[in-house]
Amino acid sequence: MEAQNTICPRCAHETIDKVYTSPVPGAWDVLQCAQCLYTWRTSEPPRRTQRDAYPDSFKMTVEDIANAPEVPTIPALRPTA
Amino acid sequence: MAYDDLRSFLQTLDKEGQLLRITEEVMPEPDIAAAANAVPRLGDAAPALYFDNVTGFTDARIAMNVHGSWANHALALGLPKETGTKDQVQEFIRRWAKFPVKPEYREMPLWADNSVEGDDINVFDILPLFRLNDGDGGFYIDKAAVVSKDPDDPQNSGKQNVGIYRIEVKGKRKLALQPVPMHDIAQHLRKAEEKGEDLPIAITLGNDPVISIVAATPMEYDQNEYELAGALRGAPAPIAKAPLTGLPVPWGSEVVIEGVIEGRKREIEGPFGEFTGHYSGGRNMTVIRIDRISHRTDPVFEHLYLGMPWTEIDYLMAANTCVPLYQQLKRDFPEVQAVNAMYTHGLVVIVSVKKRYGGFAKAVGMRVLTTPHGLGYAATVIVVDEDVDPFNLPQVMWALSTKMNPSDDLVVVPNLPVLELAPQANAPGIIDKLIIDATTPVEPDRRGNYGNQVRDLPEMGAWLTKLQALAGR
Repeated sequence: MEAQNTICPRCAHETIDKVYTSPVPGAWDVLQCAQCLYTWRTSEPPRRTQRDAYPDSFKMTVEDIANAPEVPTIPALRPTA
Repeated sequence: MAYDDLRSFLQTLDKEGQLLRITEEVMPEPDIAAAANAVPRLGDAAPALYFDNVTGFTDARIAMNVHGSWANHALALGLPKETGTKDQVQEFIRRWAKFPVKPEYREMPLWADNSVEGDDINVFDILPLFRLNDGDGGFYIDKAAVVSKDPDDPQNSGKQNVGIYRIEVKGKRKLALQPVPMHDIAQHLRKAEEKGEDLPIAITLGNDPVISIVAATPMEYDQNEYELAGALRGAPAPIAKAPLTGLPVPWGSEVVIEGVIEGRKREIEGPFGEFTGHYSGGRNMTVIRIDRISHRTDPVFEHLYLGMPWTEIDYLMAANTCVPLYQQLKRDFPEVQAVNAMYTHGLVVIVSVKKRYGGFAKAVGMRVLTTPHGLGYAATVIVVDEDVDPFNLPQVMWALSTKMNPSDDLVVVPNLPVLELAPQANAPGIIDKLIIDATTPVEPDRRGNYGNQVRDLPEMGAWLTKLQALAGR
């Protein structure tokens, strides 16, 4: 994955990777945030790609990630014989 | 007519005027999802959509809304596209009576033409992925039939599972999958994780239309989805052994992704706009490692938009949610006449029932809560008289208007399980459930002042037939 010079629209993290590029050269790239794993295409509307246009209600913080519930809960291991 | 693959069904949709080809160039976002969001608004005969001119892709083929109307649902079952909703449910019940019909293994599966393994895998090379809703955390796969086995009983084909789950694409060979605890794959995963093992899975995309219907049907844990597909198709479902995992997968899939849910591992996932019409997440969810992808040449990516109901998913889990609940209730209570669980996968269930004696309707309502599907859904159960059609909402509203006395007919059962996606629960996964008894009290329940109910005139039926003929419909 190739590092990008942008920030995550969702969590403002600065490490962004390029995960795919359009088969038609120059059309778009697919980027992913290394922190919250938000994934977007560069050709999407600003409300999905630009930090200042990204809706507050969808934004995510480091705390949100740390406190995210586990689904499903990891069960206890069975006792070995 | 039994379809063995998606493409033959798309041909039928085309022939029946139920496939709209979008030939103009569209953006992957927001165009495709916005069109799929819009198309159900065309009504009960809304078409499927087919896109093959998408900016940035050289050979994308994307089918949306394949099941997204009653007309398309009827054609999927081989019925005339004009077949009404209730008639489709009744036909579903008749065909279920033939369950189980064993599947047949067939040679040379259609997806065996091409394959890629290990670090050579990049799922973006094979699927033209795109976002559905604004707040989704990424690109999702949400109409794939996922196959897994019970790790404690892998030879038992009844306990194997074929189900549709939300899957987020998180890397070239990494996915996330949501196993709702009430669904069968969650039981498979729990057993694997208790043993410290990974859970092998096969994710099959672009299936014949009946496979998608059975994969969205809340069957009992030990019931085999392929055996229901055979009953619904009127012919054994063709299946084949997936090359890496050996799992039984549809013979006609466009794409088969094999890998494992990595045991005891979770990672941030979501949010995702869900079938409840609300976003869920982000949560720490399972992680899938893809080990092999097999696919047809030039695969069609079948995808599903979901959002504020009704969208395609509501059609895909309408009849098939009503019927197992009907079967299970009817087994214990022959008085049950019909079940409508079409709303949000049965978070509301409407049952019509003859009363054995006073209080009986409430007891039937409570039984709904303890059916396998009712455990995770059925937040509200409405019970109506046998002459009220649960599929006729004006009649149901009439029953609520005149048969229900709030002081006696609302039964709240506290702290019952519900799927964690239900947004109205105070704590995710736990909810108070409501039974509304909107039936006429019978002895020894003497409440109300009902006297005589107005009945349809005996001659009405003959006149209805005559008027329909005169009106030409």
